[in-house]
Amino acid sequence: MEFSLLAAALGVALAVYVVLYVEGRRGNAANCTRDVWDATLTAALGGLLVGRLAAMVLAGTNPLTHPADILAVRGGVDTVWASAGALGAFTWLGRRELAALADAAAGAALAGLAAWHAGCLVRAGGDACLGTPSGLPWALRPDDAPTGLARHPVELYAALLLIVAAAAVIAWRRRRRSPAGLLGAAALASAAGARLATEPLRLTIGASQPGWYAVGTVAGIAAMAWAWRHARCSR
Amino acid sequence: MLLAACAQPGSGAAPGELPAIDPAAMRGLLAASDRPVVVNVWGSWCVPCRSEAPLLRAAHRQHEDDVRFVGVAVRDAQGPAQEFIDEFGLGGFEHYFDRAARVPADLGGRGVPITFFVRAGGDEIRVHNGIIDEQTLALGIDELLRP
Repeated sequence: MEFSLLAAALGVALAVYVVLYVEGRRGNAANCTRDVWDATLTAALGGLLVGRLAAMVLAGTNPLTHPADILAVRGGVDTVWASAGALGAFTWLGRRELAALADAAAGAALAGLAAWHAGCLVRAGGDACLGTPSGLPWALRPDDAPTGLARHPVELYAALLLIVAAAAVIAWRRRRRSPAGLLGAAALASAAGARLATEPLRLTIGASQPGWYAVGTVAGIAAMAWAWRHARCSR
Repeated sequence: MLLAACAQPGSGAAPGELPAIDPAAMRGLLAASDRPVVVNVWGSWCVPCRSEAPLLRAAHRQHEDDVRFVGVAVRDAQGPAQEFIDEFGLGGFEHYFDRAARVPADLGGRGVPITFFVRAGGDEIRVHNGIIDEQTLALGIDELLRP
């Protein structure tokens, strides 16, 4: 079904909105002058555009001569460039109060990413969730699989890791004061770390990019350490 | 021998043109293949086909020793079809021409693009109607390569 990707994207928007709404009702996002929802959504769309353009250019298609191809997102989005684009857009949007904005968006962004990975359930009849073969009890069999091999539901693993990270960030933000930027950095480390941890179980076409996910994880941890050392309460 | 020659896909194609193929010839090609086959049905006029072409090229580069990649251009003209192949560097595939789109209909697909995954010997194991993404293509190929 061609609209399954759109359904997954709507799931992301819903997850982000629900988390921000709940956190906003608790007063947790009140210290940001910029609307966190706008910034998060704009960064996500910016990242999607950058990732799609990068995928086209790297594949040898000129976006200027074939602008309609940009809309065919299913043909590929470069994850590393999309992440860089989203982080760049978010940084620019929150340049006056980046730490506070990142902390306010951290839980919602992780929940949105979790929804994106869980969106595999509506793509290709759920087969898009599957990775390498597995003998574990919760492994799943693809539709019409002649080999009968059960496989790791690797996208659901990633979704689960991100949900746990989102819950931890939200709980931390609700119960404790934290240095400014700490939760945003934790979200970056968690998102990259979840991808890094699940990468060996994925089936990919072309080169995998675990090095960049490792860089993202280390950068997030380094930013956490920096925020801790330069402790300025974000509330 | 004459009958066998007629069953060969693409017999009679002019130089520089994609050879024509019909359902019987395609089934013969699949049955005779000693490697698993990925059959991609495309058209130069089809935007989703443009979008998935780089992915198929990457898959071909990764698996060309183990998997045979066959393209079937449908509802197309020879000139634009050849330009499509050149633009996306799909010359490593075997390409055939099926103006009336009888081959995909015979294999059980609908619409364009379609990707069929066929075991060596001709047993079709998966059909993906519509534009294919990386995970689905990788899974289909992985299923083909496992005993």
